[in-house]
Amino acid sequence: MPSILTLDGAPAELDVTARRPLLTLQVDGQAYTVEELPADEDGARTLLINGVPYTVWRTREGDRVHVKLDDAYYSVGYQEAVVAAAQGGNAGNEIRADMPGMVVEVMASLEAEVNAGDALLVIESMKMQITIAAPRAGVVESLHVERNGSFQKGALLLSLRALAE
Amino acid sequence: MLKNVLIANRGEIACRIIRTLRRLGIQSTAVYHFADRGAPHVAAADYAVELTAEVPTAAYLDVAQLLAAARSAGADAIHPGYGFLAENAGFAAAVEDAGLVFIGPQPEVIRLMGDKIISREFAVAQGVPVAPSCKQEGSLEDFVAGATAIGFPLLIKAAAGGGGKGMSIVRSADELPARAATASSEALRYFADGRVYAERYVERPRHIEVQVFGDGQGHVVHLFERECSVQRRFQKIIEESPAPNLPAALRDRICTAAVQLAAAANYRNAGTVEFILAPDGAFYFLEMNTRLQVEHPVTECVTGLDLVELQLRLAGGEPFSLAQSDITQTGHAFECRLCAEQPEHDFRPATGRVMRLREPAGEGLRFDGGLREGLAITAAFDSMLAKLIAHGGDRQESAARMRDALQELVLLGVDHNADYLGRIFAHRAFLAGQLHTGFVVEHAAALAAPTLDPTQRAAVLIAAVLGTDEFQRLAYDCPEPHASIGHWRN
Repeated sequence: MPSILTLDGAPAELDVTARRPLLTLQVDGQAYTVEELPADEDGARTLLINGVPYTVWRTREGDRVHVKLDDAYYSVGYQEAVVAAAQGGNAGNEIRADMPGMVVEVMASLEAEVNAGDALLVIESMKMQITIAAPRAGVVESLHVERNGSFQKGALLLSLRALAE
Repeated sequence: MLKNVLIANRGEIACRIIRTLRRLGIQSTAVYHFADRGAPHVAAADYAVELTAEVPTAAYLDVAQLLAAARSAGADAIHPGYGFLAENAGFAAAVEDAGLVFIGPQPEVIRLMGDKIISREFAVAQGVPVAPSCKQEGSLEDFVAGATAIGFPLLIKAAAGGGGKGMSIVRSADELPARAATASSEALRYFADGRVYAERYVERPRHIEVQVFGDGQGHVVHLFERECSVQRRFQKIIEESPAPNLPAALRDRICTAAVQLAAAANYRNAGTVEFILAPDGAFYFLEMNTRLQVEHPVTECVTGLDLVELQLRLAGGEPFSLAQSDITQTGHAFECRLCAEQPEHDFRPATGRVMRLREPAGEGLRFDGGLREGLAITAAFDSMLAKLIAHGGDRQESAARMRDALQELVLLGVDHNADYLGRIFAHRAFLAGQLHTGFVVEHAAALAAPTLDPTQRAAVLIAAVLGTDEFQRLAYDCPEPHASIGHWRN
């Protein structure tokens, strides 16, 4: 059963297709050979993927793996296959708070049609004002905050539903 | 000489001040909120006093508790760092009234420079150039009429504030009334003072500031300029000294104006005079920051002076004998502000935990941080994590050292801007010193994270998946029959 990973919001399927002579992983249908050299005392390790070396630092925290690959950083979501299958296709409909904050302005209104990129809310967290834009086109189904209200990390701020066909 | 200094701050600046205190043999007292109990500045200090408050930031703003902490630890002076109470005249006065030394300027000078309107009038009176401006004296309607008369584009900001709060650029008369109303309400919310003011907005301006130091009796010197034009959301992310492509004669005029202003105020201790430099060489006074700046290390690198040491010696009663001719500028230094944020999402602040940290080290490098592995990065405080400073013989060498240092840095567990800073240091316009405060907006496309090709993307995913125990088991510990099946399938 493949593992589901998410990078930059896009899911990918990874599975083991061979262990000998080299570990071979299939990523979105494409096969890659993988050789992992032991980590040095600093924690850096070299990964040979199709024979090409990459310097990797990584650490796991719950359902995320933080990676530094050569000079760039990535945060990869990881779900075991079973968990991934249990969750439906509701991604992108719910807008949740990444961190606690307060609502500066509410531009969205209930049942309004929005296009992807339309500004929905302006919130303030860590002294910064942030405009929350619609991740996709839809209809504002519910609105859980009001102007000057505060919210906690993870709170549902607003939800969208798909436009009627 | 001072015996024990309480640092009314936290994070990297508290750690940095403690380093100099230790070197000078002065005891240090840290203060902390419960949320910071495991923070490095608490461990680094000789004494630490817990402050209580429901909201963590409120602890560091509680004057009565800070004074009580100073008394209980036996401190004879308070260093405010930057932010929090550093530019609060009431705090400086309360410290002095309590019989302690405030390591900073006189309270009345903090008050003078803390008000944008009054400080500009003071600058005008000293012959220091300011941009054409208009201040709100009566109604918002009168203000709009006056601002329109200056002409567009205009910069509108809170009269009482700083740090980019309530600041906006208005390009035409029809958008002015609404924007002025918004700025006023933001000013009221942030600074409890709804007055706003507008000034001529200089296109492609550079932010040049001058480090000054005074003895409080009229003797003021400058420690040269810093260029702080690379900003996002009106906040600096890269600073350097000297400013690139700045003719010596113009540099001297700017530094002289800064000294003139500070001397007229009988300025005491370290301060910074900020200017906007127009492409035609005109420069205008912006504001004076009456404290140590975040970016002071670049000045320390090129002058070889420890600004905190100068602050402590003066506060301890030693005469300030440094003459202007004693101060020289050697080589070139850059500072990067490492922030917990997502540059690809409009620099939205990020939270997390420092899971892995490798601090860069080497010739000409300095890492001013208050980080350790396991430290939680929360929304309770500012998003700046640490500062990376590189000094080299010239701008090119300094930039190369910074690039190497950014690559050597490893910081996992919270999103941050190290990649982004690395891309700026590889950008042609940046390396050519073609800077202005809109730099990151102008070059947004070139500075965006490169799109991964399928092979790179697969490499990231493989590197990540092998970091999970579950997949490691699947990949290496599988019983032989299954492994063989895998092999045949191939």
